[in-house]
Amino acid sequence: MTTNGQAMNGDRIILQLQGVQKSFGRLDVLRGVDLDIPRGSVTCVIGPSGSGKSTLLRCINLLERPTGGRVLFEGQDITAIRKEDELNAVRRRMGMVFQQFNLFPHKSVLENVCLAQEKVLGRDRSEARPRAEALLARVGLANKLNEFPERLSGGQQQRVAIARALAMDPHLMLFDEVTSALDPELVKEVLDVMKELAAEGMTMVVVTHEMNFAREVADEVVFMDGGVVVEQGPPREVLDNPQNERTKRFLGLVLEH
Amino acid sequence: MEFIINYYFDFDIISDEFGFVVSGLWMTIKLWLVASLLSLIWGLVLAVLRQLPGKALAPIRGLTIAYIDGFRGLPALLVLLLVSGFLAAGQSDGVLPKWLGLPTWFGEPTWFWYGVIGLTLTYGAYLAEVYRAGIEAIPHGQMEAARSLGMSHGKAMRYIIVPQAVRKVIPPLLNDLIALMKDTSLVFAIGGSELLDAGFSIESDYFNGSGLMLGAIFYLVLTIPLARLVDVLLKREQRRTQRGGGDADAGEAEEPPNPNIGLAGA
Ligand SMILES: Nc1ncnc2c1ncn2[C@@H]1O[C@H](COP(=O)(O)OP(=O)(O)OP(=O)(O)O)[C@@H](O)[C@H]1O
Ligand SMILES: [Mg+2]
Repeated sequence: MTTNGQAMNGDRIILQLQGVQKSFGRLDVLRGVDLDIPRGSVTCVIGPSGSGKSTLLRCINLLERPTGGRVLFEGQDITAIRKEDELNAVRRRMGMVFQQFNLFPHKSVLENVCLAQEKVLGRDRSEARPRAEALLARVGLANKLNEFPERLSGGQQQRVAIARALAMDPHLMLFDEVTSALDPELVKEVLDVMKELAAEGMTMVVVTHEMNFAREVADEVVFMDGGVVVEQGPPREVLDNPQNERTKRFLGLVLEH
Repeated sequence: MEFIINYYFDFDIISDEFGFVVSGLWMTIKLWLVASLLSLIWGLVLAVLRQLPGKALAPIRGLTIAYIDGFRGLPALLVLLLVSGFLAAGQSDGVLPKWLGLPTWFGEPTWFWYGVIGLTLTYGAYLAEVYRAGIEAIPHGQMEAARSLGMSHGKAMRYIIVPQAVRKVIPPLLNDLIALMKDTSLVFAIGGSELLDAGFSIESDYFNGSGLMLGAIFYLVLTIPLARLVDVLLKREQRRTQRGGGDADAGEAEEPPNPNIGLAGA
């Protein structure tokens, strides 16, 4: 029974976390996270290592099953899904980009971007290929279609990974420290792609250590520590005028250098 | 000295019986090709069954592991005798139809198919372990990337994991196929007329080992190039990984492997 209110809520709030918990055995990694993500917004999640940021993203697309709480995506409680193919259908509407790129090394750049379009969405090659080419051109890799991932720089690989996720026409994009494995001079090219994406209105949840990116692009900054959201708000407030002691200490450490 | 040469290299016998030994060689090659092909397929099926995700499929995983452990732990000859005895007895008791109990599929003799079945049961188990090593060597990020794109576990295995895993384990697979080549001679025990049998029947007829020696040479002609090929492939792989390229860097995430990913759907 979907109430009217919930349906309308699913319209504006694309993703809602309600008391999400996750433990691995006796280790409580998430201890009740509440979060509303409005459609078209950019939310940057910051916090010290081990605070549960990656686990949070993985609970959103159910690579990990939360051990408590609910995740509502486009009005649907996806944590209640038990059927494998329903779950796949939900994951299809969310894109995820990983710190380690995780491109398919046995496939060319073009095939990396076409494969899931064909095998998951059922598009045929004549439909998938132009879509892939357009996306790869957009991330500046129009001339690398037939290269294999190992021949690309980290920044190029990560841009392919973004194109691969976008090819599924996701309604929400999750980014997990996507520039942390990159040489410093390659960070900008990836962040630029993400900025463009944000400007085009993509809903994004971005785990990042790039404070300048958060300040410039985020609508909302979420500071996590110890498996809970400690402080959240517009970047001007959280980053420039933090209220919580833990936030101040973390930002002091990060912004020092 | 002369006796040794006469015993192993009697050219009169060799030229008289050459065609007979070659026909045995041909059977050995056919047996090896068919058993190899079926073992490669059966081993892959077992390896994939063993990786099925979720609690609900635990019984299938358990059965698969029991099968693999069982057949790896038995002498291939014993399996061969168990299978051929069972099929023959089942046929003569009327429990099994003739086409199954005394198979002569594609015009090949019954011992040939007993050999194929017995060797496939055994080598499927060996090869399943080789595939498994390959599958487990694929960085976990590959499965996660595939799943995050909405692929099912099955599609991720089929398009992402297995193709990479197979590439990694081609040399050890070939090693096992070399062993299989030699083990085709076990059908000797169930009346097979292949290379070993040809050599041995010459030895019985003439009290002379030239036929067996010719058989030995043929086995080496088949196995040594394969062994060299394995070496070349391994060297090439080594160079690739030493260059620091390859897929090794594509997913060695710091995160611990996540055993739950497949469970998500269960
Ligand atoms: N599959 C797992 N099994 C057991 N423990 C896990 C698993 N995944 C994560 N953890 C643990 O959960 C805690 C939080 O991990 P998580 O990766 O979410 O942190 P993070 O905030 O992303 O850190 P980082 O900034 O280092 O990426 C860590 O202590 C980690 O060891
Ligand atoms: Mg992390």
